[in-house]
Amino acid sequence: MGTSPDPLAERLAGLLGQCALGNQRAFADLYTLTSAKLFGVALRIVRRQDWAEEVLQECYVNIWNHAGDYAAARSAPLTWMTSIVRNRSLDWLRRPQSETTGEEYEIAVEIWQDQAPGPMERLVAAGESAALARCLEQLEAKQRQSIALAFFHGLSHSELADHMKEPLGTVKTWVRRGLERLKGCLSGT
Amino acid sequence: MTRYANPELRDKLAAEYVLGTLAGRARARFQSLMRYDPALRRTVADWEARLVPFAHAGKEIAPPGHVWRAISRRVGRAQRRAGWWESLAFWRTFAVTSAAFVVALGVAIGMMPRPEPPISTVAVMSDGSGKPAMVVAWPPMKAMRDPHIRVKIVQDHPTMAPSTSWELWLLPGGKAAPVSLGQVSLDELQVMKLPKAVTARMQGAWGVALSVEPAGGSPTGAPTGPIIFKGECVKIL
Repeated sequence: MGTSPDPLAERLAGLLGQCALGNQRAFADLYTLTSAKLFGVALRIVRRQDWAEEVLQECYVNIWNHAGDYAAARSAPLTWMTSIVRNRSLDWLRRPQSETTGEEYEIAVEIWQDQAPGPMERLVAAGESAALARCLEQLEAKQRQSIALAFFHGLSHSELADHMKEPLGTVKTWVRRGLERLKGCLSGT
Repeated sequence: MTRYANPELRDKLAAEYVLGTLAGRARARFQSLMRYDPALRRTVADWEARLVPFAHAGKEIAPPGHVWRAISRRVGRAQRRAGWWESLAFWRTFAVTSAAFVVALGVAIGMMPRPEPPISTVAVMSDGSGKPAMVVAWPPMKAMRDPHIRVKIVQDHPTMAPSTSWELWLLPGGKAAPVSLGQVSLDELQVMKLPKAVTARMQGAWGVALSVEPAGGSPTGAPTGPIIFKGECVKIL
């Protein structure tokens, strides 16, 4: 794992450590640095402003309460926080009472259909993972599209099949093969 | 169980869990498997490291100001310095749902080793979201030659930040300040021997709490870091 020194990651890890010791000012800084990133993540999955606000609120209270759980050795701080938000958003979406329209999915489709220079550049610029961007580009269009839809908008297999107007089995195969190739590509670097 | 021993299947499920396509009952089942399977949690963490940075390819969107105000209110309230253990509202906030309590009670009863006096007191400690995180249980102190308590961690991903430690506190009756029961490790099942001075106070205790402290434990003898788990004592015998 080529872990390049990332000033943001170091800053966030330090702030989380302070939060674990009850420093509320550090928590405010942590919020300032990360809330727009995490709100975007939640909003794309739950697709409703008020739900995303509620998810974000719960997640930051959780992050505060569990800051002591953050083990720097295991994952990057932003990855840790983002996973909390993603998991909460996905659990939220799987509640029986949450019904959403399909229109918003289009955003992701458009983004990823046309070679997607915008998001790719953002990934690279974020210093997050140039390898990931490169590996995503190597996927077949349908694989990339189904993975992007599932990942950004929390679509299940059957929702993917509905949306892409393809049989369930076909979509499942795209997702599975896409993930396998992604893993192979990322470990081959 | 054997179904989940297949490494390829484990990897595939972990990938789909992180991607989000593992839904419904499959997702819930996977989450409960993770709780008892550290290797599976590592597989998930590996997939998170691969995929989650992808989440930031999307646009940043600033949340409205009222979100932060609500968060800081909630955090500030839980953080109230003076005598938080006396505050009823504090405990009410962390009330465990009765269903979760029954589950954890089952866990506690399952923790009883045969040749020991039966567990008489159980405290189910929940995290900030009200989920059971840790169960503490003990037999009557007088019935034991070497008084101890049993601790079981039931949280999904118990992890401790570097240079911090977890300290367990007994909340004795009345307005008395918390009494340290010692430091807790991340082991799922633990037995903590109690010093004589503490055993006398176990009887009237009404709650237990876990705080995050600097490595080596609280420097002051009272909780200094945030309380991450807490629960009320319930006499079951």
